[in-house]
Amino acid sequence: MGKDAARAEWDNPMQFVLACVSYAVGLGNVWRFPYLCQMHGGGGFLIPYMLMLVLLGVPLFYMELAIGQKMRLGSIGAWRAISPYLGGVGMASVVTSMYLCLYYNVINAWSFWYLFHSFQSILPWAECPANSNLTGPVEECERATPTQYFFYRETLDISGSIEENGGIHMGQALCLLLAWIIVYLFIVKGVKSTGKVVYFTATFPYLVLIIYLIRGVTLHGAINGVKYMFTPKMEQLAKPTTWINAATQIFFSLGLGFGSLIAFASYNQYNNNFEKQAIVVSMVNSGTSIFASIVTFSIYGFKATFNYESCLERVRLLLLNTFDLAEDTISLENVNHWIAELNRTHPEQFASLGGRLETCDLEAELDTAVEGTGLAFIVYSEAIKNMPVSQLWSVLYFIMLLLLGMGSMLGNVIAVITPLSDLKFISHYMSTKTLNGLVCLFCLLLGLGFTTRSGNYWFTMFNDYGATFSLLFIVLIEVITVCYIYGIKRFEKDVEDMLGHRLNWYWKIMLAGVSPILLIALFIFYIVNYIQGGTPTYQAWNKELGKSVVTEYPPYAQAFIGLLLASSVCCIPLTALYTYCKKRNLASGKRERTVSTITPRQS
Amino acid sequence: MHCCSHIILLFGQAICTVGDNCYRAVTFLKEGMLVWILFLLCQVGAPALAQDLCQRDAPNGYKVRISLKTALGEDAYEWNQSEMFFFQATMAFAMRRHFQMETYNVDNIILCVQTSRVSFWFVVTSPDNTTMLIPKADVEKAVRMSRHRINNAFLLSDRTLEFLGIYPTLAATVNPDTPPWLIVFGVVIGAVCAGIIALLVSSLLQKRRKEKGMTEDGQDEEDMQVKGVENGINLDGTYNRGFTDDDRFTKL
Repeated sequence: MGKDAARAEWDNPMQFVLACVSYAVGLGNVWRFPYLCQMHGGGGFLIPYMLMLVLLGVPLFYMELAIGQKMRLGSIGAWRAISPYLGGVGMASVVTSMYLCLYYNVINAWSFWYLFHSFQSILPWAECPANSNLTGPVEECERATPTQYFFYRETLDISGSIEENGGIHMGQALCLLLAWIIVYLFIVKGVKSTGKVVYFTATFPYLVLIIYLIRGVTLHGAINGVKYMFTPKMEQLAKPTTWINAATQIFFSLGLGFGSLIAFASYNQYNNNFEKQAIVVSMVNSGTSIFASIVTFSIYGFKATFNYESCLERVRLLLLNTFDLAEDTISLENVNHWIAELNRTHPEQFASLGGRLETCDLEAELDTAVEGTGLAFIVYSEAIKNMPVSQLWSVLYFIMLLLLGMGSMLGNVIAVITPLSDLKFISHYMSTKTLNGLVCLFCLLLGLGFTTRSGNYWFTMFNDYGATFSLLFIVLIEVITVCYIYGIKRFEKDVEDMLGHRLNWYWKIMLAGVSPILLIALFIFYIVNYIQGGTPTYQAWNKELGKSVVTEYPPYAQAFIGLLLASSVCCIPLTALYTYCKKRNLASGKRERTVSTITPRQS
Repeated sequence: MHCCSHIILLFGQAICTVGDNCYRAVTFLKEGMLVWILFLLCQVGAPALAQDLCQRDAPNGYKVRISLKTALGEDAYEWNQSEMFFFQATMAFAMRRHFQMETYNVDNIILCVQTSRVSFWFVVTSPDNTTMLIPKADVEKAVRMSRHRINNAFLLSDRTLEFLGIYPTLAATVNPDTPPWLIVFGVVIGAVCAGIIALLVSSLLQKRRKEKGMTEDGQDEEDMQVKGVENGINLDGTYNRGFTDDDRFTKL
């Protein structure tokens, strides 16, 4: 095993576990799971979620770790070793990881932007800036909210649609540069440096989450949000979308199929007990999702209560001003009572109020479910600006987002670099540092495209289509390859070789039977959904209305979506074809065969 | 009060033309009573006239709304006639400040339509002619100019002392020369670049040191160690080569 002795290794198994935790626990735990929880019946959603974790998540996680640890190569080399025809699976993983690398760091750039802007006495998203005449706030800001204005206008400087391009936003470009420099700093020495960094990126977010939990549950009105989240609405469990969303969330949350887990595991000692580690990491990931959603919902509750009370205050003022009553006659508690009273006693005057009288509903405020960047950068910042000492909470929050994002970014970049550095012709010509630098530079330059004025629309496109469908396909092929082409018996033997005991019946049943069936079901559902959905659409920010409108993608953008999907998926059949042709040529040409046995190989 | 004196004079003139000698003693008493009645009527009539100038939705008037409890909470003072007088005085001051030549008085500010909300209407009459109102635009200019002083006089703000129709001028956004975020950015990126350079330089130095040790092969360091010379001190015994720091095979 001369070659393996040269391969870098984690200093201790703890570093490996923390690296997996840091990779798996990412932004999705904070901004996707709470949304799903809210959409699918609160506490009741935990049932399909846990079930899918056990049936789908843990076995697939186990399988990827086993492959990486056994083959001790990145995804391309590992899959080529398993089955020469299916080396394309590794390639597809690398392509998908590359897409993820390109757009994921833009989120970190935004987190940096917000973090740097938190060091001001008044948070810039707390108030609308005044217009040029100083007569009132800027109209766009008035129609939307200050937080939305700050995100769409000052952070992104977003254009009206994906077709309208613009220049690069210099602030964003600088933040993206910083993000890539930090990523390079973390990976520059390979696993030696990464192993030390993950101690911090894996543990610090939990510290911030705990601080936020304490802050969150002590906020006024937080209990409304938590109660809303945990009251289960069992009727949601009857809908199939609930189960499908649970499966998808488990799948993407654990980061399966990108090749990162294979890459991480390839740096393990041969006899590392990955079985226990797989279970631990999966449980930690799900536990973090639930923990983060408690924090999110307490913040939701606070924000909803704050908005509800502001609404009541506005109605109270309106009534006082219209009917010229003394200030202390109407208080926040008896607003509704007074509305009925005034309607009875002064009907014509009441009618003149017309549309200005708002209806304030706490449930409606809580019902506004948001996910993704909208949750993280708009809803959360709106809640933070209303907290006392908002600068401190803002800094803490965006540092947490940064750590979560950076931790996942490490996994993404290592998934790309490990297979590349395993390739002979690359490792011969350049050192690890140069390769890492080149990859970071390449991703930075392409990522600058996401900092243009229409960049956010391209970002959403990559986010929605770049890694969703291809991953399902990749992991499906992976499971079928390992269980049926490589053979579950051979896999069992490899695991016994590494761990010292045989595969449990649980793993065998899940890997060979349940997981492939679930994956096929998910896959079919995705295709059906995509076809039924019609033309793909996106949310374009309308300056005049001050809100997002649903717009269809132009034809060239739809072609690009198709290209994104096809480029990673077709690696698999193309590589299989290529290998088949190469083998045929080798078999037919005797001369080549003799040459191949004489020429010394570098492996 | 000018109107009253005019009326009394006219009436007096009318009375004097009626009778000359015989009626003088009798009519003197009657004149006195009439004057007294007229005086009383004028006292009532003058405010009635002024009231015609100030009314709800007056074309040249402004509605003022005061929210004491919102602004001051527990420390709110009571809004009474003295406070109304103070308002008149403040408005007169504002008018004087804007139109520097003209001397406005408390009487030139007429208030009406008071409610328990605390809101009322006011109009401003010209100091030279009390029947003439100052146009809305001029009043607005005066209020805008002294808005800050008026607010502070009542311990209120733009939001709690509202002149309906006069929008407060927002504070201009302070634009510092270097945006503060750029400063923090500069600090962070400086630290990170320093970290990278330090890492790269240290690994470069390590590589150079290893290469020097390997190519010279027994000279310098290794030679010294073999001979038992460390830190310039001659040690007894020979150095065991098995423990040299040769990690050629464990590079990344």
